[in-house]
Amino acid sequence: MKRAVMPCNGLDKAYGVLARELALRLMETEGMHLICPVLLNNSPVRYDKDLADASLLVVDGCPTRCASKLAQKLGIAVAGKMLVSEQAKTAGVDVGESLRPGPVGMQLVDAMQAELAAQAQAGVDGQPAVDFDPPTRFLTVTYDKFVFKIPAEGYLFNENDCWVRVVGNRARVGVSDFAQQSMTDITYFEPTRIGAVVEQFDEVGSLESGKSMMDVLSPVSGRVTAVNTELVDSPELINEDPYGRGWIAEMELRDFESDKALLLDAASYSRTIEGKAAQAQH
Amino acid sequence: MAEDTFMGVPRNKINWAPTIDYSKCDFCMECDKFCPHDVFERRDSDPKLVVANPHNCVVFCRACAKTCGPDAISFPSKSETIAAIKKMREQEGEQ
Repeated sequence: MKRAVMPCNGLDKAYGVLARELALRLMETEGMHLICPVLLNNSPVRYDKDLADASLLVVDGCPTRCASKLAQKLGIAVAGKMLVSEQAKTAGVDVGESLRPGPVGMQLVDAMQAELAAQAQAGVDGQPAVDFDPPTRFLTVTYDKFVFKIPAEGYLFNENDCWVRVVGNRARVGVSDFAQQSMTDITYFEPTRIGAVVEQFDEVGSLESGKSMMDVLSPVSGRVTAVNTELVDSPELINEDPYGRGWIAEMELRDFESDKALLLDAASYSRTIEGKAAQAQH
Repeated sequence: MAEDTFMGVPRNKINWAPTIDYSKCDFCMECDKFCPHDVFERRDSDPKLVVANPHNCVVFCRACAKTCGPDAISFPSKSETIAAIKKMREQEGEQ
């Protein structure tokens, strides 16, 4: 598949400069098509050929995320994202403030390229291992013209509108029907890293819609063993089937007994939704 | 108005809200534009942005920090907050 990369190209920030360096590197070593955000913004048609049927990687320097926002504004599908400031934080490096990349910055570019390669490999390795029948019986909460469904058994929830379904020492997590309806049409899914070790309520992915952004906060602690890569191309599955095909990640459990203390069953979560729906209205 | 409780614990007893580092904040207001819970409030005088309603903040949500270009927003330790919530729930159960 054709691949393209768009950096934010932030000229006046050290992280922005490194976003550009990473994009140049990916163009030179992996043959990605380079997209200039300024020209794209001014004249999108100039990149019609490069972006048609291409898998687009967006590289933002800082959390202002100018490149991501531009892609969203223009309705361009994004297959992957990288945030330089976050990578620097994870790696524990200080790239300084110079607008010309130094050795530390270039090492970070190497590390980010390696991380992208690892993510691509993980996408192949991290096959889902949890198998269960989709829910058939639901509790419902009706508020105004909205109806929110909650699987009556087999699922537990946190108050942050995420669910977990446990099979042995494995679990699958996702977001609730209430969460997906509150988000409206989900347009982007960012998976977490396979192999990541997370605490309860740590992020295991994030979602974006035209209306808002949501961190998926894991109901359980453990190690991420698979992510739903189907959502990268089809985030709408979360809207269509939040408890089934729209699952977010699979985990190997670490301390489920302890995690359960901060989880709700279907009846308790229904009451939580009733409260939230009423407050959202006012 | 935010929820009054989180897992049965009164929200105002849970230490979870953003802190703004004013030495970094450039008052772009992206966090305030993002947050649907009115946690932040803009002021005419300095500082032009404050955490006015910390108890409106959704417990464990850190999404506003992701919108912050200069990385000026921080949150309390999540594991400490979890431990504190569990402890308050246990105490509640004993009463």
